[in-house]
Amino acid sequence: MLHKSLIGVIGLCLGGLAPALANAAPAPKPAAHASLNLAGLQKALESGDEDRALAALDEIEQAGSASAAPLVEGVLNRGASSKLLLRAIAVAGALGKESSSGALAPYVNHRTAEVRHAAAVSLTHTKGKVAVQALRDALRGSDPALRGTAADGLGALGAKEAVPDLFAVLPKAVPEAAGAIGTLCSGEECRKFLALLGKLPFDVMESGFLPILLRTGNDVPDGIKLELIERLRRMATPKTNEVLRTALATYPAGGSPKVKSALDAALHGHSVKSDEP
Amino acid sequence: MIHLRSLSFASCAVLLTGCGAASVNSSKGFDNEWQNDSGASIAALEQRLHALPAVPNARVVVGVTDSGLVGSTLDGKSHWVHNGRAASPPMIAGQLVIVAEGDQIVALDASSGSQVWSIDNRGLSLRGAANDGTSSALVLADTHKSLFLGVSASGSSLGSVETSAALGTPAARGGIGFVPWSNQYVSAVDLKSGDEVARLLTREQVSQARNFGGQLYFGEKGLLRFDEKARYASTNQANHVTLPKLNLPGKPDWLGSGVVTGTSAANARTKIRVYAAPSSSANGELTLGGGTIAASYFRVLFGLDAKSADLRWVRSLPADIVGGAAASAGFVLCDANGKVWSLDSNGADAGSLDLGSKVRMCAADTGAQPMPAAAAPAALAPQITQALDALEPDMAEAERYLIAQLGKLEDPLVTKALIDLSSSPRISPELRAETRRLLALRKNGTEYMLSALARHYDFVSGVLLAPPVGPLADALAASNEQRAAPLLAKHLNDPANSADDVAHAARALVKLATAAEYEDLRTFFALYRATADDESLVAAVISCAEAVLRVGGDAGRTVVERASQDPLTQSDVRAALPGVLSKAAPAAAASAPGAAGAAPTLRATRDNPPKSAAAR
Repeated sequence: MLHKSLIGVIGLCLGGLAPALANAAPAPKPAAHASLNLAGLQKALESGDEDRALAALDEIEQAGSASAAPLVEGVLNRGASSKLLLRAIAVAGALGKESSSGALAPYVNHRTAEVRHAAAVSLTHTKGKVAVQALRDALRGSDPALRGTAADGLGALGAKEAVPDLFAVLPKAVPEAAGAIGTLCSGEECRKFLALLGKLPFDVMESGFLPILLRTGNDVPDGIKLELIERLRRMATPKTNEVLRTALATYPAGGSPKVKSALDAALHGHSVKSDEP
Repeated sequence: MIHLRSLSFASCAVLLTGCGAASVNSSKGFDNEWQNDSGASIAALEQRLHALPAVPNARVVVGVTDSGLVGSTLDGKSHWVHNGRAASPPMIAGQLVIVAEGDQIVALDASSGSQVWSIDNRGLSLRGAANDGTSSALVLADTHKSLFLGVSASGSSLGSVETSAALGTPAARGGIGFVPWSNQYVSAVDLKSGDEVARLLTREQVSQARNFGGQLYFGEKGLLRFDEKARYASTNQANHVTLPKLNLPGKPDWLGSGVVTGTSAANARTKIRVYAAPSSSANGELTLGGGTIAASYFRVLFGLDAKSADLRWVRSLPADIVGGAAASAGFVLCDANGKVWSLDSNGADAGSLDLGSKVRMCAADTGAQPMPAAAAPAALAPQITQALDALEPDMAEAERYLIAQLGKLEDPLVTKALIDLSSSPRISPELRAETRRLLALRKNGTEYMLSALARHYDFVSGVLLAPPVGPLADALAASNEQRAAPLLAKHLNDPANSADDVAHAARALVKLATAAEYEDLRTFFALYRATADDESLVAAVISCAEAVLRVGGDAGRTVVERASQDPLTQSDVRAALPGVLSKAAPAAAASAPGAAGAAPTLRATRDNPPKSAAAR
């Protein structure tokens, strides 16, 4: 059985988003056939009647129409009750329009933890530079849970510029940063991550290994992957074996055959040597 | 019984000068039936002794260790060790160091530590000892009785008087022992015969007779000088000196009660005490320590103005202060590590010694010499901050005192110190509140304030406490510091700040904000107008509305008007907004940047706001 955290990481690697994020903000549904009455919806959202406004948001989410995103952004820009805000934040995330990131971003700094968290999750769907900057700010903030969410989100958004910040928070009880680093690091950064093996607790770093091993582009040279495989093999713990087994089992078709062979060899107890410097 | 009332001053003087002190009377002393002689006998004695050369105590420091005593002359030329188990504090008496050991009272040469004499303690504890240059005066006591005992230079017992009265710490001069008792008398007892030759009646508490620089003083809370005016002590006309009213941590004693037998280890009372020596100014006026006294509180030493008690300097030593002495100017203190610190009257280092081992307590005497003046010390503000750093977290009383002293100083560095303290996790919440209160009142150190406001909680770079935004906002608003506006506006939307701090920031922005802060203000207003869930946040939102109206032009007015009509706006906020709107002047013609036309989006991030993107 796959380790629970590894399943999450695989989701991140292969699906693009961590399951937690995906659960909190449902993926946009296909656009409804019926066109939305935008004027009517706007009237409902500005009515001051919480129930009417919530119903309007439900309708917008059901329709999944990006054309209604400005209406949701309007709610966020004007401010509303907590209940309405949380709904608007979720719907903005569900619609996934980058334009909504500007309206969502301030809510990452809201004084209510639930609102902050919801905003951070939705920003990973609306994406864009504003979303990345908001999550980088959240990583600096005083909310430990939000820092974890932000780290996950930065990984999901491919925010390579955030890697130095992620390294800074990794040893400070933000293990989610490991997964993001594994997803985002380039050659030297990945080496830096590997150098932390043995210095930081394995549990803290664990979520970063699979993303590195399963990366298919040129950002992470095979040599680094082989070095990681060899170091995990030498550690020879149930957890390291689990990482190697999972990597082999889920190895992408486009991945390097040399790395795949090394995974197999390592699992059979054979040393793995890199011919790269 | 002596009966001096009937003797005229003149006849008494004749008797004293003609026949010698011992022949004035032959009665044993400490008699409660004594009749007040209006100072005649003590005046006659003073006149006789006046011409004698002053005999100051040795300039020496003596520490109690686990295995005995360690001593050093203050010039550092002689260092000695005496093995034994001290059962009393070491007492510097003339050129001797007298201490109780087992059933003996032992006298050591102060400069060499060699034993001079030893006598039986008669089953009593050593309470006090003095020496006139030749003979010694001892007071031994237990809970039921006291014994005054004269001892010759060779250690032979001389005159003695046993009494049920509790005798205090003695002094000696010219063959006479001066012994306070009954809180109002100082009996002058002939060391050879044990006869009481004179008595001083004073109206103030007296349990100590002391030798400061060769001059004798009597008292406890204050001191009167044994001089030609001592005879008027009963009518409060003697030369007298006392401490100013002190409000110091631990409520330190100066001399303490002379009828309490001391122990050989320091306790809290030993570590919390006042060091002050009386001295005569050029015009003969009696002063304390040339204008400066000191008070210890464990490892911290406060230097105070001898008249006003204003704090002049602060020193923190590496270990608790376990004894010392004041000079006519300056101080000698020893710490528990066995280091001896000589300080001038400004608290600056005037030399140091090392006793060579840790000490449980110490005694010192500076003789008749002041400490040499040293280099000018640092300004008081940094001294206080350094002392605060040295205090243990449980020394809140000293911290409170020092913080209060900081608040009295005009130095801009104080502002920085208060900012640092307000952000320090080391001090208690109560003291943090006090530092914040004082910070809000600061009128200088603006650059430090602005610099502090530029900081935010930042987990990545390890800034884990927000600056004291509320007090800074109050202080900067009071000085109308416009440069604070953008910094305060950024703090509105930082959840690391307390709601109370945010409320103060918003209040300051009502006065300081410009159009450049409009977006931050409007963002805050939008985020909390319907979600404010405590009093401070409600107050912040209402202040924010005022600021938005002042700097936001038509668009700002529209924002506030819409909120005032929205049923979802928090009830207290909604109730206040009509008043805010009616108080505000109609919107100025000039609108805030981005405020005209389509409403801007909320400010997106702390450092990188997005362009306006969405119409409402």
